[in-house]
Amino acid sequence: MFRFQSLDDDCTLEEEDDGLIEEEDEIDQFNDDTFGAGAIDDDWQEEHKRLAELDERVGLGGGEVEGEVDSGGSKPGSSIHRPSSSVNPPLQSSLPPFGFSSSSPGLPPQDADDRAREGGLAESLARLILEADPAIAGVGAAERPRPSPSSSASSLSVLHSLDQPRVLPQSSSIPHQRQPQLPPGPITSGLPSSSMLSYQQQQQLLRRGTAPMGQMNSHNIWDNSMSFGPVSVSPGLVTHMEDSPLMSIIKEGGLPKRPPQGRSDEGRDLSERVPPPRSSSPVIGSPPVRAVPIGTPPKQPMSHSLNHQIHHPTTVHVRAPVPHRYPAPFPERLSPNTLLNIANSPLCRGPFAPRVGPVLSHLQRAQLLNSQVAGFPRGGPAPLLPGGGFRPFFGGPPPPHGHRMCPPPPHGPPSHIPVRHNTTHLHPQHRRMLTQRMQSRGGDRGRTGGDRSSRDPYSNLMTQKEKEWVTKIQMMQLQSTDPYLDDYYYQNYYEKMEKRQDKERDISSNSKKEHATKLITPQVAKVEHTYRPVQFAGSLGKLTVSSVNNPRKMIDAVLTTRSDDEEKREKQVWNKRRQILYTVEKMYSLLLEVQDFEKRFVQTPEEEREALLEQHKTNTEQLSSSLMEKEWDHRVSDELCVMIMSVRKGKRLVARLLPFLPSSQAAAVVMAIARNLPALAKKDKQDQVLGWLVEPLSPVIQSLSSSALTDLLQELQGGEGQLAVVLQNKFGVTMLYLILSEGERMQSCDPNCQLMDDNRWTELVFSVTRELLSVPASSLSPPLFTPPNLLSLFSRYVDRQRLELLQDKLQISASSR
Amino acid sequence: MNYVPGTASLIDDIDKKHLVLLRDGRTLIGYLRSIDQFANLVFHQTVERIHVGKKFGDIPRGIFIVRGENVVLLGEIDVDKPCDTVLQQVSIEEILEEQRQQQQTKQETEKVKMQVLKDRGLSIPKADNMDEY
Repeated sequence: MFRFQSLDDDCTLEEEDDGLIEEEDEIDQFNDDTFGAGAIDDDWQEEHKRLAELDERVGLGGGEVEGEVDSGGSKPGSSIHRPSSSVNPPLQSSLPPFGFSSSSPGLPPQDADDRAREGGLAESLARLILEADPAIAGVGAAERPRPSPSSSASSLSVLHSLDQPRVLPQSSSIPHQRQPQLPPGPITSGLPSSSMLSYQQQQQLLRRGTAPMGQMNSHNIWDNSMSFGPVSVSPGLVTHMEDSPLMSIIKEGGLPKRPPQGRSDEGRDLSERVPPPRSSSPVIGSPPVRAVPIGTPPKQPMSHSLNHQIHHPTTVHVRAPVPHRYPAPFPERLSPNTLLNIANSPLCRGPFAPRVGPVLSHLQRAQLLNSQVAGFPRGGPAPLLPGGGFRPFFGGPPPPHGHRMCPPPPHGPPSHIPVRHNTTHLHPQHRRMLTQRMQSRGGDRGRTGGDRSSRDPYSNLMTQKEKEWVTKIQMMQLQSTDPYLDDYYYQNYYEKMEKRQDKERDISSNSKKEHATKLITPQVAKVEHTYRPVQFAGSLGKLTVSSVNNPRKMIDAVLTTRSDDEEKREKQVWNKRRQILYTVEKMYSLLLEVQDFEKRFVQTPEEEREALLEQHKTNTEQLSSSLMEKEWDHRVSDELCVMIMSVRKGKRLVARLLPFLPSSQAAAVVMAIARNLPALAKKDKQDQVLGWLVEPLSPVIQSLSSSALTDLLQELQGGEGQLAVVLQNKFGVTMLYLILSEGERMQSCDPNCQLMDDNRWTELVFSVTRELLSVPASSLSPPLFTPPNLLSLFSRYVDRQRLELLQDKLQISASSR
Repeated sequence: MNYVPGTASLIDDIDKKHLVLLRDGRTLIGYLRSIDQFANLVFHQTVERIHVGKKFGDIPRGIFIVRGENVVLLGEIDVDKPCDTVLQQVSIEEILEEQRQQQQTKQETEKVKMQVLKDRGLSIPKADNMDEY
């Protein structure tokens, strides 16, 4: 805390300052107003009374108090944010009476001095100023930052207080022209270590001895600020511009506004990439514009974006946002610019030192990151070139000061430790493999890669965040709402692999595990991306606003769908075949929906399952009804059936369709097939694909009741000569055999079967056998396969001789398959 | 670390020495420092290597930013492996001279060929012009 003894020093300093006025005219305005002619404006007693903390300053001499109060009073309207003020050293020591009510009077003067210096000239002056200003005094009283012993912390705290935007009502009338135009000469002369002390500080130091380096650091902020020339003024902050150091600092910093401006600057920088606002009303005509386009890389805390605001390049120290960028405990991953600021701020860096640039160059950034990553401060700037031989560009590396000053960071994540991306859209099997791979690779990399990266000073120029961003974009492209549609083979591959693994697991563990239905990862929800331009109801015509997202339509054609009636009317006009194909296509799409139902059902969330189920039911109904006659519900339309089956695709369709139909309808379809077999056979002559139907047909036939089976056989036999035709066709023969074999199975397995109840079956079989025997062997086409129990069937109905004949003809035997 | 096996990503190639062949025929060697979603590449300490016959020359170029669409192929260079065993490195001037000579002879042969074809009434457009369209 500030000590009263320092008041003594004040007096002498005042004299000295006055003496210096003559020497340097320009820099003495501040001083003049403080101690000279300009200082007699206000009633110091009023001021004094207003300051609540003065109650404790009991022991002050009148004159000193006067002097101090003068100095306090000379800045009634100072509205500078505390830390922004440049400090007149004599003022600093005059602060104690106004400053810290809580300061304990018992400390030795040395401490006071030290603390005075440490606390920051700025802080003290700022406090003084703020207290002098009645408007702020109340506000400021509670929030005075305590000067901390460590210089870096003090500068940090100063910066912190920089952050808190303070609305300062009036502009300062603190005139101090000296500081902005301080020539380098007087500053750098005479002092051993620091090169940029302000003039006043110099004086102070001269008298008080060289302060330790660390303590000087706190002044650096002000030193830099003092050296600035006029810069852009933050509007609204200062009402009258004086050439005061404080003003210049305000100009330079625009401090209370800096944090939001900084961000808006970044926002502005990025928003420059947004297309310029449209002349026509953008709101109506197009969807909202993204402030930051999708392809924007991640933001870096760019200190030099603030530079655009400030014309002088070396204003890196007064970066308001810096303290924002890192929380108090040292975070794992600091942005390199932040690191630089940490590194540099405590250091003495002359504003006139040759500077590469205020912004941490990428190289520095990388180096700092490297030091962070490598976990040890790097001694020298000279990088060891990995692998040798690649030397061309090793341009002057920056001085290593940054490294030394880095406080030992916690070990940041080395680049090879993978970051967990969002893998929910991946197949769970895939995810498992991924983790396995990551683990194995992480081990490998740790051994070799880390070593190499520690030698390459330019590594990690691409931050982890940026890498993630690129990967994120790549992953985004892989997201899909319907994985079976978009990436069918990928899904199937992983499913197969899982099955294989399960099988192996089962074999190895010898346990027959119940195959738990694995829930396939839900996919990204389908988002409606279609943009619909705004339309006003009841208005004539459409909006004329067009934009890139809704370009103006040249022809505003509205499609009117034709109703079914019209379609029927046009049926005759259409080409018959096209119509057939069309029907087949429609049915196919229905069929595919039905087939995919199960897969989709598993994936949809609970709420939507009802709706899906409903839809599925409608689909199946539609499907089944499409084949039916218009009037008869239970009979398949022959015409339709033949029509559809006349096309290869139609046959395929029916084959795929049969398993999904309810049994009665399936039976009806089979009946229709049997009934129309000759026609179908004729149409199939070229394609010969009726065989596709065999596979779905057999379960249907096997599920038929005995009467239905009989009916089927009857249908098959149909009219005159039908059976002959049937026998000529491979499929027909196969179907016949299937029916017969089913009948035989029924008879042999189930003694109560009703097949024999009426004679129909027997008669039918008789006729079949008759036909079989009579038909010449050449015209009898071999079936796709011969059921084994035909022999036993025939043996029931025919005598031995005929049986043998049949056997030869049909090449069936007891052992035939 | 490639997070999506089955896809190609340049993330793992960062900070490694690469050789890239561009569409215009240039060969660049440098440390790949940064990429983006279009495979635009940032090369550091780039060297353009010109090959003529068995000789090659390196021209140091500094930092290159290559637009992704101009990359023909890109591959990592193993810094440990001994390189250029067959090839002989020469100075820049020499290689440029060699290159110039090579271009010259090529042009001459091309010219002769065109003349011969013209005499026979044929006109075949030059392949390198077609690249432009």
